Order: sequence, then C-alpha cells, then structure tokens
Amino acid sequence: MALIVPPSNEKKRVKVYELKNNDWFDRGTGFCTGRIINDESKIYVESEDSPERLLLETKITKDDGYQKQQDTLIVWTETSGIDMALSFQEAEGCATIWDFVSQVQQQLLSLGGPDDALSDDAMESFAKPLVLPQPEIGNLDDIEHAMRGIASTPQGRDALAKFVISEDYIRKLIPLVEMAEDLESLKDLHWLCNIMKMLILLNDSQIIDHIVNEEVVFGVIGALEYDPDFPNHKANHRRYLKDNSRYKEVLSIADPNITRKIHATWRLTYLKDVVLARILDDPTFGVLNSLIFFNQVDIISHLQNNPGYLEQLFGIIDNPTADIKRKRDAVGFIQSCCAIAKSLQVTPRATLYTNFINHGLLRVITFAILNKEASIRVAGTDILVAMIDHDPAMVRAYIYKAINEKKTPLTETLIELLLVEVDLGVKAQAADAIKVLLEPQPTQPPQQQPQSQPQQQPPQAQSQEAIARQTGEFLSKHFYDNSASKLFQPLKDLEKRETLNDITFHEVQLFNHLVEIIIYLSRTHQFRSKYYIFSEDISSRIAQLLSAPQKHLKLTALKFFRQCIGLQDEYYNRQIMQKNHFAPILNIVYETMPRDNLLNSACLELFEYIKRENIKQLIEHLVETFRSKLQEITYVDTFESLLHRYEQMQGFNPDADTTLFSNDSTSTPNRTPNVNGNQRWQGVKEMDAVEEAYFNTSDDEDEPLPKAVLSKAAKMNGVTTSPMLKSLVDYPDDDEDSMDTTPPEPEELGTKPELEPSPMLQTPPPERLSEKRRREEDNDEDELGKLSSTKRRNSGSSASNTGSAAGHNTLKRKKGFKNDRDSPTNGPSAKKIEISLSAKKAVSEAGSKGDDGG
Amino acid sequence: MSDLDKAISELRACKIIPEPQVREICHKARELLIEEANVVQVDAPVTICGDIHGQFHDLMELFRVGGDVPDTNYLFMGDFVDRGFYSLESFLLLLCLKVRYPDRITLIRGNHESRQITTVYGFYDECLRKYGSANVWRYCCEVFDYLALGALVLGTSSTLEPSFTDKSQAIEPVDDDVEIEIMNSRNEVTARFPRSRRRLFESDGLNSSPPGTPSKTGPSGTGATSDSGGSHHSGGAVLCVHGGLSPLIDSVDKIRLLDRKQEVPHEGAMCDLLWSDPDEIDSWGLSPRGAGFLFGPEIVKRFNHLNDLSLIARAHQLVMEGFKEMFDSSIVTVWSAPNYCYRCGNVAAILELGEDTSNGGVIARSNGDAGRSAQAFMPNLAPRSGPGRRYRVFEAAPQDPRGMPAKKPVADYFL
Repeated sequence: MALIVPPSNEKKRVKVYELKNNDWFDRGTGFCTGRIINDESKIYVESEDSPERLLLETKITKDDGYQKQQDTLIVWTETSGIDMALSFQEAEGCATIWDFVSQVQQQLLSLGGPDDALSDDAMESFAKPLVLPQPEIGNLDDIEHAMRGIASTPQGRDALAKFVISEDYIRKLIPLVEMAEDLESLKDLHWLCNIMKMLILLNDSQIIDHIVNEEVVFGVIGALEYDPDFPNHKANHRRYLKDNSRYKEVLSIADPNITRKIHATWRLTYLKDVVLARILDDPTFGVLNSLIFFNQVDIISHLQNNPGYLEQLFGIIDNPTADIKRKRDAVGFIQSCCAIAKSLQVTPRATLYTNFINHGLLRVITFAILNKEASIRVAGTDILVAMIDHDPAMVRAYIYKAINEKKTPLTETLIELLLVEVDLGVKAQAADAIKVLLEPQPTQPPQQQPQSQPQQQPPQAQSQEAIARQTGEFLSKHFYDNSASKLFQPLKDLEKRETLNDITFHEVQLFNHLVEIIIYLSRTHQFRSKYYIFSEDISSRIAQLLSAPQKHLKLTALKFFRQCIGLQDEYYNRQIMQKNHFAPILNIVYETMPRDNLLNSACLELFEYIKRENIKQLIEHLVETFRSKLQEITYVDTFESLLHRYEQMQGFNPDADTTLFSNDSTSTPNRTPNVNGNQRWQGVKEMDAVEEAYFNTSDDEDEPLPKAVLSKAAKMNGVTTSPMLKSLVDYPDDDEDSMDTTPPEPEELGTKPELEPSPMLQTPPPERLSEKRRREEDNDEDELGKLSSTKRRNSGSSASNTGSAAGHNTLKRKKGFKNDRDSPTNGPSAKKIEISLSAKKAVSEAGSKGDDGG
Repeated sequence: MSDLDKAISELRACKIIPEPQVREICHKARELLIEEANVVQVDAPVTICGDIHGQFHDLMELFRVGGDVPDTNYLFMGDFVDRGFYSLESFLLLLCLKVRYPDRITLIRGNHESRQITTVYGFYDECLRKYGSANVWRYCCEVFDYLALGALVLGTSSTLEPSFTDKSQAIEPVDDDVEIEIMNSRNEVTARFPRSRRRLFESDGLNSSPPGTPSKTGPSGTGATSDSGGSHHSGGAVLCVHGGLSPLIDSVDKIRLLDRKQEVPHEGAMCDLLWSDPDEIDSWGLSPRGAGFLFGPEIVKRFNHLNDLSLIARAHQLVMEGFKEMFDSSIVTVWSAPNYCYRCGNVAAILELGEDTSNGGVIARSNGDAGRSAQAFMPNLAPRSGPGRRYRVFEAAPQDPRGMPAKKPVADYFL
C-alpha cells in the first residue's frame, strides 16, 4: 500500500504566525509534527514552554494554498480564511513537513474525493501511475486544476511529464484549440493556454522538443495566443511562425531531419524570445538553450559532412553570374554559421573554420568588405572579426601566405577599409579587427589539429613558442615595417596642417580610431610600438589633436598621453618632456577650469596620477617648466600638491607625512597596517622583481627583458614597503575638502585599497562563488521579510534572480581586460598589480556565473 | 515640428527611429554630456528615479505618475537598459529628452551602461535584432562612456509642498512636520511620517512587512533623534549614485578627479560607485556581486557628515516596495522598474524632492565646505536633517494595447 509515512517525530522547532490586520502575529514558538490520526493528516505545533498547549492544529486539505518559500517557510490559508505561516529554525525540518504536506495533498488530489475520506482503497489507488482524464471541452478546468496541484511537487512533476509523454497527451489537446476557437470559448482557450504553459514549465526536454514539431507546434502556440494574463489580447504567434518566407534557404538541404531541426530551432528561439519571454524560469530557459545548442551542433556538422554542399555555397560568391541578392544571402548564411560557431567548443569550431577557409572563406570576406552595399560590408567584417577572435594566429598565417604569394594580404584590405569607410559601424569594426589581429599573443592554447583534410592544413604554427615567434615576426616585419605607415599616414599628414579648425566629421572619426589603435599598441606591444611611435614622432601628431575643436577628440588624444605616463617608461617620459607635451595639456586645464566637466576631470586625473605615483622626473619637469602656471591653478589642490612634492624632493618639509600618519591613529585606532592579513587578498604574496618583470613583458615573450622594466620593477618593489604604509592613514581630518588651504597629503585616491585593510578583516573569508550567490539570495532579510516579498511573485523560483543569461554568456573577455588595464587605479606598484589580478579573476568569474541582480 | 520632436513622438509610441538619426542624437548627447561634471549639480525640485531596465511601458507610467518632461525635472540613476524588452526605446527616449531639455533631465550611469554587461543581459541582442547590426549598440555604448557618475541635488526643502493634484481636488496643505509622504499612482496619500516619530518604523526581524501590504513600506530606519537642522528649511544636499560608496572615495570632490570616459572598470572608485550596495555590516565588506563593495551604516553616516549630505539616494537593488530607507534614513534605495523582468511582482517608486524657497533660491553650500572637515573629532554623527521626501509608488503599466511585452523575434533565419 502506498502509504504516506508521517514524518519522523523528531521535533522541529518552529515559530507560528498568524496574519492579523495585515500584521504577522507571533503565536509562539514550539515543536512541529505531522501525524495521521483517524485517516486525517494534520500538522501540530506544541508550545515550547508548555508542551501540553497546542499552538497549532491544522488539517491538511487538498487546496493548493500551501506554499514553501525560501528554505524555511511554509505559508497557507486556513479554511477559515486566516493566513498562517510556519517559520522553521532549520531548512531540514521545513523540508520534512513540506514533503508530508505535498504527499498528503497529492493523494487527496489523485483521489478527487472529499478531503476527509482517506479510505484504504483510496490509499491503494495512489500507488497506480497518475491518470488525467481524456481532455475535452468541458473538463479543461478540472485538468488544469489537477495539473497545477500535481506540478507543485517534484515527484508530481516527474510523474506528470512521464504521463504526458507516454499518453501523447499534447496531441490530444491540440484539436481542442481549434474547437474552442470555433466555439469562441475564451474560457476554454485560457485553460488550454495555462495547461500548455504548465507543460512547458515542467522543464522536460522531451516535451519541449516535442512541442516544436510540425504536427503539434501550431496547436500549442495557438493555445498560447490566449494568455489569461492579457485577457483582451490575442497574440499572432501562428501567423508569424507559419510565414515560410522567413526561412531563407540559400541551398536546399537534402536531409529532411536537418531541415526539421532548422525549423525547430527557429521555433524554440521564438518560444524563448516571444511566447514565453515573460514567464520563463531559469531551468526552462536553460533547457530551451541547450535544445537550441544541440540542434545547431547537428546542423553545422551536417553541412560540413555533406559532400558538395560547401562547394556550392562558396561557389555562389565566386560565380560572376549570380545576382547580388543571392550573394548577399550566401554571405548572410556564412555569417550565421560563424555566429553559431562562437558557442561551439574549440575543436568543432576549428574544424568548421578550416573547412570554410579551404572552401574560400577569405575570398568571401574580401568580397564582402569591399562591397558597395553597407549591409554586406557589415556582415563581412562580422565574419572577419569572428574568425580573428577564433584564432588570430591562424589568420596571421594566412596573411603571411598571401604576402609570399604576392597577393593583397588581409591587413591591407582592413586598413583600406578603416581609412575610407563611411559607414561608422563598419569603420569601428574594422578598427576592432585590426586591434585583435595585432594582439601580441594568441588568446587560446594552440588549436588541436582539426581532423579533416590534413593535407590542406594552413601553415599553422605547432607550438606556443612557434606562434609567439611567428607573431613577433608578423608584427615587426609585416606590420611595423609596412602596414603601419599606411595605416597611420593620416596622422602623419597632420604635420603639414596648421589648424584643425577645418577638420571634417570623417577625419574626426578616423583620428579617434587611429589614436585608439596607437593607445592599444603602446599598451600591448610596448617595445615595438615605442620604437615606431618615437621614430615617426607620433606623439607630436597626437599632441596636435589636443587642440582640435572637438572635445571628444581632445579626450582621446589626452588618453594617449595618460597611457604613456601610466607605462612609467623612461623613454615616454623623456619624449613628453622634450616635446613639451604638457603645454597643450595644461592649456586644456586652463581652457576648462574651473568648470567641472569631463575634459577637465580627465586632465586632473592625469596630474593626480603623476602626483600619486610620485613620478619624480615628471614632477621636476612640470614644476621647473610651468611653475607659475601651476601656481595659478588653485581650484583644486592637485597642482599645489605637485609643487609641494617638488619642494619635498628638493629636501624641504620632510615631516609632512609623519604628521598625517600620527594624526590618524587617534580617530581610527583599528586600522592596522596588516595588508597581508587582509582576507580579500589572501594567498596572494608579494611579487618579486622578476615576477613583476615577467608580468610586464608577458605580452611579448619573444623579446628580451628590457632593462628598463627590470629596474622599474625593482624600484616599484621599494615603493610597496614604505610609502604604502603611510597611506594607512584613512579619513585624514584635513582631507580634500580643505583643498585650498591645507598642505597636500601624500596619498590620494587610488592607493586606498591597501589603506583599508582593517575593515576587510572583519568580513568573513572569501567564499566560493556558489556560496556567495546563495548568501546573496538568503542574506539580511529575515524570513518573514522575504515572505512578504515573495508572496507577490508570480514565479517565485527565479524572481529577482534572473541570472539566466549566464547560461549563454558571451562575455567579451578581451574587451574587459583591455579596458581594465587602463583603469585609473591600476598603479604600477607590484602589490597593486597582484591585487588587480586577483580582483580581475573574481570579476571574470562573477561575470560568467554571478547574477548582477539589477 | 523639429526632427528631434518627431523622434521623441515616435519613441513615445515605442517605435524605433532610423539608424542615422540615432547616430545624430548620440553625437549631440555626447556634446552635452562631455560638459557635465562627474558629479552633476542639480537643483531641487527634482524627481529621482531608479532602474528602468528597458521596461518602456512602465517608464511611460512613471512619467504619467510623476509628471511629464519638461514639467517635472527628472534625475535617472542609471540602468536604463537590459532585462526588459524595450531597452532601445527607453534609453533613446531618455536621451532625446536629454538633448531636447538638457536642464530638465539628468542621466547618470548605472552598471548596466557598459559594453560588457549589455552583451550578456540583452541590450546588445536587442540592438542586433532591431537594427540588424551592432552599430546602434556601439553608438549607445559610446554615450554610456560619457554619462556622469553621480549627481548632487542642492536646494532641497525640509518640508513637503502639496503634491500637484487634479483641478477638481482641493489642494491640501502638508504639515511642516511631515518628513515623508507616500502616494499611490492615483495621487492619493497612503501614508505620512512626521519627523519626530520616525522611530515608529522599526524593521527588526519578523514583525514587519506582512505580505502584500504596501502600507508597511515605510522607512525602515530607526530615525534621527535630533533635528540638527534647527529652524532653517533646507533639506540639505542629496548625493545620487547608481550603486553606492567606494572605499577609495571619502569625499564627493574626489569623484571629480576620475577620468570617467571609459568602459566601467572591474575595480576602483568608478566601479564601486556603480556596483556597491549598502548592507548591515560594520564597515566594508566583499560584495557577492564580484564587483564593488558592501558598506555599512557607519560608513554612510560618516560620509554624509564629512560631505555635509543629508541623504544618499541610490538604485541598483530590487526592492519589492519600490523604495527602502536604511541606516536611520541616511541612504535610500529607489527602484523604478515595477514587476521587474515582467514577473517579480514588485511595485516601483520615484522620489520627489521639493525646492527650498526660504532663502530666495540661494543655495548655501560651498564646494568643499572647508570648516566642516577641519573638525578633528565628530562627537556625534547626528545625521543632518533630511529633505522632505515624497515617494510615489506605482505598479506596472496596464497591459499594452498592442500586445504583451516580448522581445522582437529574429526576422529571418538561414539556419
């Protein structure tokens, strides 16, 4: 006999609440048990203080008013209409009672009989598999109601899913949709819609796969057009999905199974994006996504294994007689493949690209990016960027091949595109593509050799070192010796230009991109780019842009100088001093001050950085060259501080720092200088000079370590010991509010992470992300607070936590890192680099797994 | 009708505008935003709004409840995009309004105004669907880089002016003693809280907030005991940021020293301002979000004291009641996306701050306020008397006559 076993009578400590006048009234604390007495299942709570007193005695009824919220709450409405809640001390106790309630309810439901008739016969019937009545107009509400009850427990959902599949239940529902429509019975349509929603949200991949089949999809979607949440509205899903013109078949696909999958994928996407967009919970979203993914894997592999298909496809582009519309579609088709490839694993993706390239992908790209139609150019750059992202080394290898064969290499085409393109989107994409192509190191470990057609392997490098060597060669021989001059010609032409007042819109765009590329180069391949920048006097050209009328162009130019200074490189510093580049920058300060705008802040940040990092060389130069100018800027204390720093360097006022330090210990006694004890950076030890140097050069492995870097690293390690500790001064009482009067303090913005160790000590040690997420969901609100919030939710499980996107996460890691590197607080001290590394890791993990919660 | 006005009326109808026009508007917005400080100064009266998240129809409801632009001044605290299905229309409408009425509307940056986040949480996808290429996304992201990081509301009043009402209704004066007023979307007062009795609303544990009763959405703080503001009518300065405070920023003026024109970094002051959350902890803590920090009541009170702020307004976290005051009303979370993600079941709120007219409009605050920080000790950190605050609570927009909210489906498919 399928008996419900009353929960073990291990007592569960619980608080009983009753809702009175909209307030939760505490009926007391006691111990909760579930019992079956005289065929009635009841929940009892005996008072903790006087066990003979019952705080609660309630019979479990089949109404679905019971809800489990969070891990420790059960709420329901008594038959008398009173809202009650049990708040358990432990989740385990809650789960036990909840299981009991669910089982009892399930049994009551499957009986369909009166609540209190738990006869032995009825008990037996529970052992049988679940049965729903044959659907017909007239019993839909019963079916909906029964399903809702069954679906409220995990066991019920499993049983329901099995039943629906084994009975082919959905197919039986389908004719009712049309019938109800003919009868214009909105109520039945609403029931049907609810039933379909529930079936989908059972989150069973077999069911979901089934409903997008040709035979049933229109019935299912038809029912979903009548959403009771929008009673006055009927959607037009069927019309949209029946529109065959949306399917663009460039070449017919022989295998009907694959064609079916293509349509199924499209319908799944539509379900996900439109039909179910509002109601999807995370698990179902995940199921939809994985179904889509596996379909796509099959489709892509079919295309490649089908002899002749790719020949025909790529042949369209090469065919001089094919019309442009057909070519456009072919490019679009290839673009779709590449977009799908992004989600594939490395090996199948590499296989796809190899196959594509062997069939002429590069020709397609060239055709597309030089096309008259902007939309084709966009698609072309899109394919190109996807391909470079996939494996820049491979693309470089092809460029080499092209050079050796005296063909126009891809770089030239891209540069051409960047220089002359009028479509700003394509231009931006071309600039991005150039950057990725010039990335100094492959972003992934070397690709595994694709299986197919080994004889046609590209001249792909075999090892990491080989790739690095080849990349180095590519950069110096090909790029810096040849392409760079063409790429940056417009910048160099600035030399002849006397004024920038007549600068055109497109020039502004172009200069923006070019300077951004230079910034990128100076950051990523320091050595080669440095040589190029010096020999071509690029910095003077960019300095000219500081006086352009367009403020955003000034900003970009300023960013270049900030980047140079941030590198803390002797050569750049000397260059900046020799060429007097601070003069135009100070001019901007003068032009904008004391207006508090973006340009002004960007300048201040630059000088703050020099001050903060105490770059002596530059401070000396600034003070000795521009003393009076600096003295006149008094609306912030940055410049006065610089002057003061200078004085200190010359040996004056040596006590300034210690005064500040001693001041602080009184107001914040608990701020101990225990940086390494700081939990957040636990396990990160100080970096030594060699490691540091390694980090500085790891982008360019094939280069010998420049001496400057080594000495710089050593210098920086020195910095970490003494001045850092001073910065433990926090909340100095003479802080910046009094910026006009007080002497400058030694530490400013940006050095504070190290300054704030003690508060962090009070936080628990870092947790793994999963734990953190759990805590995020559970923390701070008390259980009833949550109760109040969750009861309103329609689909409680995922309410505020809609991190579902994590499943199909496409974080652009490279972009993140690029930007990260020039974040304003990323100072050069060894310790800071360590910190930023660990934080980066945390963020990238959080970015991929965590929910941003809003 | 100018092109801009045409664009505004198209967008108000939730229709997208042609790509070249988007580009033009983004460029115009850029020119405006580049002139704004990292912390924009905004004069009261102003209505402060939290996250929108692409819920276009609810944004329209917000304007209906709070008054239309330019009749009402607005300050939006970021997170215009992602999650909802109409990020483009919502953000472009706000941007057009910014270009059209630059002094009437202030937009600051949220953590979702970032390339990296938008590629994951929907905005990128939406642009791709609606325009067929990522160009519009690029234009918008560039504007994101120019958005201010915060705003400072000055000239607030400690008292509440009567709310604008239908002409049929008599204007009911508000008692000077009222510090907080809560109104529903039908312009009816649902609760008032006098300054002296803020203690009434305690939020310790299980006794508060029964389900589904908006009347319990009062301030959760325990209230200031003394009204240090004395007899004057100024409500003090209110700092608005999307996320919260940063351990690297101990004064508002330090925010000025950031170069904000960049993608939101993964760490550092700019990141923290957009990512941090207040929490009941002692000082600073790790954020479960993986970026920014958690900060406790002492941090807020000290920051407010040092910077002569009466309140910090921020967004960034879903609150079921639309707003939530914390730490003795020293900080408030405002959330303006009702029924978030179309299924969270929450209500939304906006915060109205009135104008202090007692000084003839002269605002007594020097940028830097030297005397204050010169005090070596702060014997008591009595919070400054807060501004009179009117929260308008509203629910999700009634169903869109054109259909249920959904993403735009992919137009064609090859595969």
